[in-house]
Formats: sequence, C-alpha cells, structure tokens
Amino acid sequence: MENMISVPMKARVDLPLEGEVSRLLPDQVGNVAGAHNSELQQRLLESGGRRDTLGPLKKVYLFWLPGMSCDGCTVSTLGATDPSIEELLTGALPGVPVVVLHHYQFQMESGDHFTLLLEQADAGALDAPYILVYEGSITDEHLTVGAEPWAAKGSLPTWAPADQRQRRSTPEWVRRLAPGAAVTIAIGTCATWGGIPASLGNPTGAMSMMDFLGKDYRSSLGLPVVNVPGCPPIGDDFTEAVTMLLKYMNGQGPVPEFDELGRPAWQFGETVHLHCPRGAWYEEGNFAREFGGKECLAEIGCWGPVVNCHITERGFINGKGGCMVAGGACIGCMSPGFPDKFTPFYKRPPQTTPATALSRIHGALTKPLRRTTQLERNREPRWRSTTPSGWAPQYDNVTIAHRTFEYFYTRIQYFRSELPGRHEKDEEKYASGYMVPPEAAYGKEYAQLLPDRRADEARKRGTYQRPGLSPQADGFETPLQGDQE
Amino acid sequence: MCFQNLPVEFDAQGNARLKEGVGIPYAYQTRDVDRSQIEQLLASNGHVKDINLDPVTRVAGAMAFHTVVDLQQRKVLEAHSIGTLFRGYEVILKGRDPRDAMFISSRVCGVCGGVHSVASSLAMEMAFGIGVPPMGLALRNIQLGLDFQIDNPVHLYLLAGPDYSQVVIERTNPSLWERAKKTETRHGNIHGFATMAELMTAFNPLTGKLYLEGLHMTRAPKEAYSILFGKYPHPQTVVPGGLSTTVSMQVLNETEIRIIRTLDYAKRGVFIWDDITQFFYDADPLYKQVGTRPKNMIDTGMWDDPFAYDGTYAGAAEWGDQRWATPGVIMDGELVTTNLHHINMGMEEFVEHAYYEGWENEGTPYPTDPAGNPLSPNHPWNKETKPRPDKRSWKDRYTWSTSPRWDRQVMEAGAYARLWATAAAAKMPHTRFLQATGTSVKIDTPQTPALPAMELEWQIPETWNAFERNLARAYHVVYSLMVAYENVQIAFELMGDGENKVATMTEFRVPRDERVGVGFWGAGRGFLTHHLTMDKGVLTNYQVVTPSTFNASPVDPFGQPGPYEEAAVNTPILEEFDSDKEFTGIDIFRAIRSFDPCMPCTVHIANGDNMIIRDATTCACGAT
Repeated sequence: MENMISVPMKARVDLPLEGEVSRLLPDQVGNVAGAHNSELQQRLLESGGRRDTLGPLKKVYLFWLPGMSCDGCTVSTLGATDPSIEELLTGALPGVPVVVLHHYQFQMESGDHFTLLLEQADAGALDAPYILVYEGSITDEHLTVGAEPWAAKGSLPTWAPADQRQRRSTPEWVRRLAPGAAVTIAIGTCATWGGIPASLGNPTGAMSMMDFLGKDYRSSLGLPVVNVPGCPPIGDDFTEAVTMLLKYMNGQGPVPEFDELGRPAWQFGETVHLHCPRGAWYEEGNFAREFGGKECLAEIGCWGPVVNCHITERGFINGKGGCMVAGGACIGCMSPGFPDKFTPFYKRPPQTTPATALSRIHGALTKPLRRTTQLERNREPRWRSTTPSGWAPQYDNVTIAHRTFEYFYTRIQYFRSELPGRHEKDEEKYASGYMVPPEAAYGKEYAQLLPDRRADEARKRGTYQRPGLSPQADGFETPLQGDQE
Repeated sequence: MCFQNLPVEFDAQGNARLKEGVGIPYAYQTRDVDRSQIEQLLASNGHVKDINLDPVTRVAGAMAFHTVVDLQQRKVLEAHSIGTLFRGYEVILKGRDPRDAMFISSRVCGVCGGVHSVASSLAMEMAFGIGVPPMGLALRNIQLGLDFQIDNPVHLYLLAGPDYSQVVIERTNPSLWERAKKTETRHGNIHGFATMAELMTAFNPLTGKLYLEGLHMTRAPKEAYSILFGKYPHPQTVVPGGLSTTVSMQVLNETEIRIIRTLDYAKRGVFIWDDITQFFYDADPLYKQVGTRPKNMIDTGMWDDPFAYDGTYAGAAEWGDQRWATPGVIMDGELVTTNLHHINMGMEEFVEHAYYEGWENEGTPYPTDPAGNPLSPNHPWNKETKPRPDKRSWKDRYTWSTSPRWDRQVMEAGAYARLWATAAAAKMPHTRFLQATGTSVKIDTPQTPALPAMELEWQIPETWNAFERNLARAYHVVYSLMVAYENVQIAFELMGDGENKVATMTEFRVPRDERVGVGFWGAGRGFLTHHLTMDKGVLTNYQVVTPSTFNASPVDPFGQPGPYEEAAVNTPILEEFDSDKEFTGIDIFRAIRSFDPCMPCTVHIANGDNMIIRDATTCACGAT
C-alpha cells in the first residue's frame, strides 16, 4: 500500500517566532537556516500544522545519540510506517505529542548550535520532557584516557577557542542525560546487547546500555532501559514502542508491557519460528537442501526456533520482507547472544539435527495422508469419473486405493454430521415438495454431474436443452445459435 | 603506462613487473606538516577565524571538522576533517570463521545496505574458487540497484537538499532568494514547480514536499529489497556463490512494480537538480568553484554480467569490463585504465596521520597478487590493522581514517565516478536501456505512472564541483534503477528457461588451506573493496576500503590532503554577511555534503596543508 505524502496544510517553517534564541548566539557558524530544528518545529506547531491535541503534552524532545553505530537503526526507522517518522515529527496523530527530534543526521544546524540543545537538557532547561534514544554500542573510554575518545559528540565548552575544548564522549552524554530522561531507549542490537562492536575479540571494550547503566538505573518515569533490539531493528517496532510510550506519558494509553529484558513484550514475546511462513515445512519434515530452497531453512543454519523476534509476522517494512520470508536463515540478530552465540553462521545449530530428524519421522507419517486428502480436495464434487483439465489429462486417473481412502475419510469427516446437499431425510427437504430448478431438470445428484452427464439425464427426462451451449458436446467450431424455443 | 609513481612497469605483453634498479621498491619519505603560516595568521589577523564544527550534521555518521577561514579574503585557508569513531571490524574478523564475514562486515555500514555483504561474498568466491549462477547474479544486480534508491535520494533530499531550501537561502543569500522568486524553472512542466522559489520551498525541512517525499519514496525500494533479501540494511540472503533468496514469479512481480513506482520519482529528480545547478551557475559563476578539486577518480565498477562473471582473479580484467558499471581510474579527467588488476595493484593505505601503528615489522606476506603482479607492502593484503588511540595533533595523528591512495595520488570516489568511468570507457556491453558513448551515458527510460518514456543523458561535465556531484548523483539514481529494471527482465527470462538456481554451493564449506580473495564492488558512494586472506579455515586478515575512506582521508605521507580537505579549501565564501559574526559556513557545508560523506564513522576535516580526514573505522563505511 502506498501511503499518501501529506504536507501539513497551513504549517510554515519560514516565519520566525518571537523568542528564538539561535540567532542571538555568539556566532552563527553552522546555523545555516537561521534557526535550529527545534525552532523550526515550534514554527510548524504554532502556524497551524498542529491541531488541538488530546492530552496535556504538546511536544516531547527526542535526543538520538550515536555510539559505535552503523546508522542502520536510523535508516531502518526512516522506513517505518506504523507510524511513520514524518507523522511523529509533524504532529499528525491525535493524542501523540509532536516529537522534536534532535538527530545528527537531520538537524539543520551543526557544531555548537547543535550541541546547545543537549546542554540545555543536561541543565534541565528544556520546556518539555525528553526521551533519550541511543544507537550503537557504548564505548569504554577508560581505554582512551589521554587520547581522543572512541566515539564523541560535540566539543565543550561551546564557543570556546579550539585549544580549550574537549570532545565529549557519547558515554558521558548518556551518563548526564539518562537520569533526567522520561524514558531511555536503546535501539538496535549494539545498544541493547552490545552487538558486533562488543563481540569477542573486539579491540575497543564496547558494551550495551544495560551493561553501562547497570541494574539500578531508572528514568524519571521510573523505567529501566527500554530495549528495541535488532540488527537492524524493524522500524515499526521502534516507532510503535515510542508512540505507545508517548501516549502513556500524555495520559492517552496504558503503560506498555515490557518483558524481563525490557523488550516490548507484544513484539518479542515469541520466537520467530512460531510466525514463520516456513514453519509448516518444518512440521512436515521438509528442509531446504540448498540455498534458495523454498522449504524450512533449519538445516542450512537457521536459529529461528530459539530466537525472540516477530519479523516473519510483521514483515520488515510495510508488511513486506522478513529474513526467512525471503530465504535468509535466522542468525539471531535480535538476541543478547548475537553474534558470538550464533557463530559460525550457516553451520547447523546443534539442536537442529535431532529436532529435524523427529520432524522427518512425523512428516513421513502425516505427509502421505495429507497428500491423498489434498488430492481429493483439489477435485470438485462433479469430478467423479472424468476431470475436465486440459492441463493434465492424467488427473482423471484416481487409484482404487485413493477411492478407498477417501471413502473412509469421508465417513469419519461426516461422522455424526450431515453431508452437504439435500439427500434422503425429510428435514433436509422442502415440506411442500418444492425442488430447485436443477434438481427438477437433472435429478437430486445434479451438483455432482458435469454437463455431459447432465445432458444424459436431461435426455432421459425429456428436458429441453439449448443447442450450441455445450462446448463439450458441440465442439468450439459451432457458433452459438439463437434461442429456438 | 598507467603508473606514474609506483615502481612498476609493463613488458610487451602487458604483464606488470617491478622496475629494475630501484633500491627498495615502494619505499618513501614522510613529509612533515607545516602549520606555522596558519598559526601566524590566526594570531595576527582578526578576520582569520578558527572554526570548530563538531558535529557536522546531515551526513551519515559522526563527523567533525575544524577549519580556518579568512572572512575578508573570503577564502578557506585550512580544513581538518576528523573521523572520531572506531569500532574495529577488521580486528574482530581476524581469526574468525569466514562464514561470519558476510554478516559481520555487512554491519560496517547501515547506510549502504548490503554492499558490504556482497563485496565480502565476492572476496570469498575468489578465495574458494567458485562462481555464481546467472539467476544469483541477476538478483544481486537488482539488489544493488535498489540499494542506491535509498541511499542516494536520502542524500539528495534529506541531507544535502535542505542546503538549497528556502529557509537556508533566505538566511545566507537574501539576494539569491529575491532572484529565485523571479526566476522561472526550466523544467517546471516535468517537476511541477513554476519558479525557483517554489522549488526551494519544497526543499524546506519538515514541511517541504520534496523533503517529505524524500522520506516516503525510500519505502518502495526498501520494500522490494526486503522482499528479495529479507531486510534493509543488512540483507539476510547473501552467500558466497550466490544468494539464498527463494525466487518466484511473485517475488519478481512485486519487485518490478516497486521499481517502476520509484523510477517515476527518480526521473523527476534529474530535472529538479538540473534546475538547482543552472540557477546557481547563472546567479554567480563562482559557484562552479564550490567544492572543486582535480578530476581524479577511482571506481571498482559493479553489476556483473550474469553470463561473464566467474569469480576468479585471473579473469577479473575480462569480467570487470563486462560490468554494467565499468571499473576505472580517471586522472585529470582522462581515463587511465579499466583493468581491475591495475586498480588493485595501485592501491596502498597509509596511516601516518591516523590512530594506527604501522605494520612494517610484520613483513610483506604477499609481494605479488595471484596473477604475479607486484604489490606494495602498503597494499591491503599486506596491511595489518593495529589501533592505537592518541591525542589529536594536526601535524601528527588526528583521525581514525587511513589514507588510501592509488599510484600514490589522491582519488575521489563516488556514484559519479561510477558514471564517469563507465561513460569514458564505453565498454559497457550495449544493453536494452543503457549506453556508454565515450563522453556520456544515455539512459533510455520507459513510461512510468506520471511521466512518458524519455531518454536522459549524463554528459561528462567540464567543471567538477559540488553541484555537478549532486546532479550526477540524481542521474545515478535513474541509472542504477534501470540496471535493476533490466535485471528483473533478465531474471524473468531465466525463470522462463528454468534457470532458477541462485547459488553454486549447496552448503557453506570453508577450505582449510591458504587462500586470498578480493571483492571489487561499489557502495552508494562508489569504490569498495574487501581484501581477505585465510588459512586453516580462519581469516588471517580482513581489510575493507570504502569510498569514504578515500574521500575523508587525512593528509598522506607525501603531504597531499584528502578530497574533502581539498574541496573545502578550494571553496570560495559566497554567502552574504555584514559582520564576521553572521558567517554560517554554508558554502563549506555544500562542498563537504556534496561528497555524501558516510561516516557512521566520524570525519574530521583537517586542512593545514589542506587536509581532511575521515575515520573509516567507526563508520558504517569506514569501519575498516
């Protein structure tokens, strides 16, 4: 489905408001729009882009800080549709405060102008609550004492000469901003569990937000770190979790449910295998033997049965995609154990062979029964002795074994139930003796007769048949005759 | 021959060998950086300002730069680009099972989707000695055509685009805004904006039509990408020897439909950026110098011919020429070579100004490549990654980015380098929709929902600057999308012929003996190589060279600054301001952003001697 691109009708970002501070700052280097994004969003809010909202909160700041990240979480979030990032930024959703985003990839302003809002948050000087989002692993800056940090944002103090400044590492920003944040959200597997930069053999000592902030951390709303994992995460998982939190903060929704690791419980409650479109291949004991196979990927290294994720249900974007949907084996990228507890990738996980062996036995028993039943269910009730398929003339050939199987199957299927169709019993018939027209014309078995058999029945009963209407009897050369009654 | 500075010559058969009579081949002397003049000016001239931009926003990843400008002379005197993020991917991969490499190296960059996993699988295909079935190659081509539909438009409309918006122009160049209100667009009949002012208003952040469309229009290609490869970025279905995608009519149909929807948008983009470019050129020809630097470019080519690629190093020169984008080196605007062997042989990486230790004590394990061509001790196959955090010093070390050089010259990488090499070489096999003429590439686009069929032609430009980079990138969007479209048609034909096999290997088996491999591929920003060596079933070395490693590189031991640094220093200050305090630096931003810096690693622009640095390691792209 294509979303409409809706431009807020009256909203303007080019009309300055009174009290904008960015133009008054000591110099204007980096302030290329003459206003910070937060000011542009205020202009948008006040010029009518924002309708009256439900709840008391008009806006909430969202600081997005990158540590050792690849920007993939940002890119993934840009694709979200439920809701989309632009819906959050322009205040399109009633009950959800406008999100004033502070993100290094999207701010109009650079340099000290960019850092200003972070400093204001640090000083508790913002006019609205804020959410802290962290993307990427946290660096261990104990290892860089006396050197440049592994990861940093901004040089402080702002507006000081270069030689008097120090780059502020992102862990320091986190340490300062996390206690005052309404919620702290770790996005992506690097921030939630450490991810690849923290994998065994890494040279930087990287770790996750939970590792860094510790067990006792609580945000100002009293929440531990909220974790939206994934490498990359599903964009909608993030925007959905943020929206639910915003609604809660605004008195418009319940407290979202989180699991024991701080994941949104409704998103990460089950394994990805339970929602997998290939799961039924597993159940029948069919496994892909080569890359590109359409069957279950367990034996080429899929970890799906033990990984908490729902990409096979939600899809990756706008309901589309998902690893196993496309043919990619699960490598556990949403799990705290990623990557080291899943490597070497593409090597069959140890539990797979016994499990798939059992499923093969199960499959060996159920498949023949299912295929026979399936074959019969691929037949109309009218296809008894012949089948009008030009695609496969041999479709006619039904074995005696099949007929016997189906006979007993039907007995069981309708045991203590009635076969469809009005057969013998009085309660199945019209009391008046009325017969529907085909029954009057061809007899009570009519629904199981193809046209040629109906013609036989009609002849027996002396019922009129229109000439030229039956391709099977007349062939295709005969033009359709007029009605000759 | 193609090398001016390396001690390499060619015999009559064209085989490379070391020149005789050179004492120690590849030895070099490091030139010291001299900042005394700048320091003097800073101390004595009130209009010379030391400007510290940390961070630079609207680039992928974390970038900071320091620059010294003379606001009276309206000149940039010095620029230092600093990449401040190191994540250590190459170190993490060392000693691992090669089966981990594609998925781990993919995470180098979350902006360019799956380019790293494909480059990694190409390197392994070479090391394992396997090819890829045609269907696998066709699908990979679609993948990398779609990839750039996310990458490039995000840059054009969300990152660089706002620098050309009403709010910025009104603030930094009021006279240009007055002019824009009176200037009719050239292509209003196609993009729907009658005046330049309307067009610039559409570039406004948050409310502009092009800005919001830029967010939205990345979704259709992301959907198609996810249908074929599971997710974006970090595809889940790339394996050495092909893919693990389950291909079907449904998959191809859903992909094709999304390509067509995106193509409509892509075609319009060319006309939007042509209007922007012409408007600035007409307003002031000095804009042609914003972000200018020598026309030295390098590209590895990409999109393999499904029937030519065999995965071997020996055959690289041949299958390289069959690619939809021809590999190439452009020196002073002239094509020097298209041979992937030459491109590989000429590569060296230097770390004199980056936070790494040298590896001169590690020996030179690979004095030649598998074809017998000589390699430098600084070649990626011989390089070791040994991080060492340090203080920042403009004269010494100041970034996590290395300095890759080709033939010891500063090279620029980019989507445009891909177009340039393809156009100049005119070797691309004639395809249904694309043609390289020697001076241009012609793109024959079919009818799309809103626009008729049209032939677009990107001409090799006379001048090289920020505007030409953006314009070429807009053409590249259409170009790469047509490669994807053509490969969808090829995939349909293959399916019709029953050629549905997508991978050579049925199981991922790792050889136990000593092997080397290199993947030559392209990212949204151009050039990309993964070099690996392996032995006893583990990776003994893994080296990634990304386009932003070239572009954001610090000064090299020969005293040459990196491309960002050069471009920043060559940029005239054209914004309007009454007092020094009002200076915003917009022209410098335009110059830097035109490269589409990808620094999930940080970039630091340093230009004492005109140098800019980028850190590849923190970066999605630079995470080498």
